[in-house]
Amino acid sequence: MILAFSLAVAVVFGSGVFLVIQRDLLRVVVGIVLISNSASLFIVAAGLTRGAVPIVPLPGGDGASASDPLVQAMALTALIITSSVTALLLSLIYRLYVSHDTMDIEDISVAELREAEALERKNRPEIEENPEKGPAAEELEERSR
Amino acid sequence: MKNAPARTPEITSVLVRTIAKLLFLPILVTAVAMLIKGYAQPGDGFSAGVVGALGILLQYLAFGRRTAERLPLVGFAGKGVFAGLLIALLVAATPVFLGQPVFTHYPPAGASVIYVGTIELITALLFDTAVFLMVMGFVLGGVQMIAQTIADEDEYRGPEATGPEFDASAGTDVEPSSGGGRR
Amino acid sequence: MTDQTLLVLPAGIPWVLAAVFALLDGRRRWVGRIAAVGLGVSFVSMVALALRVLRDGPVEVVAGNWPAGVGIVLRADALGVAFAVVSIGVMLVSLLYEVSLGMRSRTFPAVVLFMAAGLTGLFLTGDIFNFYVFFEVSVTAAYVLTSYRERDYQVRAAFIFAIVNLFGSVVFLIAAASLYHVTGSLEMQTVAERLGETSPNSAITIAVAIFVAFSLKLGLFPFHFWLPAVYVGSHPPVAAILSGALANIGSYGLLRFGGILPDQLALGTYAVLILGSASIIYGALQSISRSDVSEVLAYSAIGQAGYILLALGLGGPVGFSAAVIYAVVNSLNKALLFLVAGLRGPLVGAAFAVGALSVAGVPPAVGFIAKIAVFKAALAAGAGGGTAGAVGTVVFVTVIFVGGALSFVYMFQIYQRVFLAREPQGGHVEKPSPRATRALVGVLAALVLVFGLWPEPLLVLGEEAAAVLTGSPGDVSGGGDSP
Repeated sequence: MILAFSLAVAVVFGSGVFLVIQRDLLRVVVGIVLISNSASLFIVAAGLTRGAVPIVPLPGGDGASASDPLVQAMALTALIITSSVTALLLSLIYRLYVSHDTMDIEDISVAELREAEALERKNRPEIEENPEKGPAAEELEERSR
Repeated sequence: MKNAPARTPEITSVLVRTIAKLLFLPILVTAVAMLIKGYAQPGDGFSAGVVGALGILLQYLAFGRRTAERLPLVGFAGKGVFAGLLIALLVAATPVFLGQPVFTHYPPAGASVIYVGTIELITALLFDTAVFLMVMGFVLGGVQMIAQTIADEDEYRGPEATGPEFDASAGTDVEPSSGGGRR
Repeated sequence: MTDQTLLVLPAGIPWVLAAVFALLDGRRRWVGRIAAVGLGVSFVSMVALALRVLRDGPVEVVAGNWPAGVGIVLRADALGVAFAVVSIGVMLVSLLYEVSLGMRSRTFPAVVLFMAAGLTGLFLTGDIFNFYVFFEVSVTAAYVLTSYRERDYQVRAAFIFAIVNLFGSVVFLIAAASLYHVTGSLEMQTVAERLGETSPNSAITIAVAIFVAFSLKLGLFPFHFWLPAVYVGSHPPVAAILSGALANIGSYGLLRFGGILPDQLALGTYAVLILGSASIIYGALQSISRSDVSEVLAYSAIGQAGYILLALGLGGPVGFSAAVIYAVVNSLNKALLFLVAGLRGPLVGAAFAVGALSVAGVPPAVGFIAKIAVFKAALAAGAGGGTAGAVGTVVFVTVIFVGGALSFVYMFQIYQRVFLAREPQGGHVEKPSPRATRALVGVLAALVLVFGLWPEPLLVLGEEAAAVLTGSPGDVSGGGDSP
């Protein structure tokens, strides 16, 4: 049982990490959800005991025959926290999607660089002479290769 | 994607709509049962809230945003979170003013309980109701907020742009069309 | 007033106000003002609690009238209240700052209050899982704060911040679950007592996980990568809250769990010391090479966190007390500097100079006291250790000195660039900021000077907090000993 649980935790965690290092923001969110869920799974694995429903009055009279309720409460709390943070993350990427029409983190960075340059050019006209030589342009060039 | 499901409810099949209609009350009854029987049997405010919220989300799925929000009280979901939070805080803080530690519940263990039918009236039930309100409010309020943002966005962009398919009332999020970014 | 009322008030007020204010429009002036008054009351009750704790020892309540060992324990001890007072204070000043400038978001007061509620809960709980829950409450509020004003780069920074911190939270959660598994308890003192009987292998794994989790929060050297991205784009009061209040979670967590896992801390002393020194040097060098004010301050935060880690690694009563003092002083410095960096007008330059002196550790400012405390810890660690100890002392004293000198350089580089440059930048004349805002920053700067000239309260706080960690409450073996 311990081996099964640790394998499950490892696979879920590993898949999560793989997704987090992707460029697509939606995948990153899914990845972090998987990582969080692997923690919940770990909690369950760490405190798993088989027994009766832990509701007073206990069937056996003492606590020995009941399963440990604290682990379940902890896993539940962790799940709630994950779900609310996921909602927040989704709204953040939605916000980015609306303004950039893409969910690719690198496209967003490039777009931001370009905006920053445009702003700087407006403030400091002397850069205007050579508009091709901004970092964004270079970045684009490099990526088109 | 000419007809976004959010605006044309008829796109869902008769089967889905009939089932949604049939299941609506049973789901809510189950939720309430989980809430008030949580002390003698499995169940609590959180799971009751999730079940209840899913029941109402099913209505969103089947009939679209407009119709679902016409259900009583659904429009106030966002406020429910804070009402719930305040009730929970009240339950937690009241014992402090009576000289007991926070979160002391009344009546204490072993004391006699007032029954209404088979429901035991204890402050823990009030606390769970608060949790129920918070969960319902959070889920529904979040969905409403996203749906509202998308509706505003569509209005702003004009009817041609269907907007991102991240429509909560459509139930699924279709691929985020990130392919265009790669050269 | 009973102990428990005193214990519940500082956390309870922000909770209730946050729930109410979330429904109100924070851009209205009166909403912001009432929120600030509420947070002020919370702060005052926290100070009252702190005085009580310093006089009569820890205050403890088991929630729900459960027997001890079953219910969740709320405990205020010197370490917790020290961090709580400074965090709530920094948040109060930042909220007042934003109110005086004019709030631009309807949710700002509510989010700040939620964060205050989470932070007070975190510093006053005696239960590891409860610690995690409060920590998530405050960090989630921080994600929202980072995206405040909703510029694209702020939203992106908030996203990065959220992802990295969630990862840290997961690592901590796994550590908490493991602690529960090996000790069968989540109550901090019980865990500390029982850990001695468990297998050292599992304990060291848990210790490493906890160290990684809090280092991520604090932004220490190998885990710092997210920090500049978050601080650079953010609005001054938000940056002040993040580095003056939220980062305290990291230092508090390291100290608190250093007290719970003393043997593991002693085992990892060298790693901790090396990482701390690396953090100091790296942060200082990066700061010197940057030109943007918030970027310099962000990298400086990495360096300053290194001092806390160094003091923690040096260990013993002197080291722990130095770590506490340094963390408290660092919060004040960072709040002052981030707030001042957004202002213009008379006296603002002076306030910045005070903050800069404090970071560099020059006498009239309180930073001097903190640097001296770390120095003392380095000397005390060397005193008992023979030649190796002496060499170590020389190395650490050099690191501390070089770090201080470098921070002097980079702070005054900014000072020169921002406050001494005569010609207005970008061709437009900058308007001086509102007087109320400047007065607020002036008060903070005065506080930095006052504590520099009259450091006794700070020293007492540091000693009491160190006594909590090394002393007998859990009857743990006497803390991480010096190398």
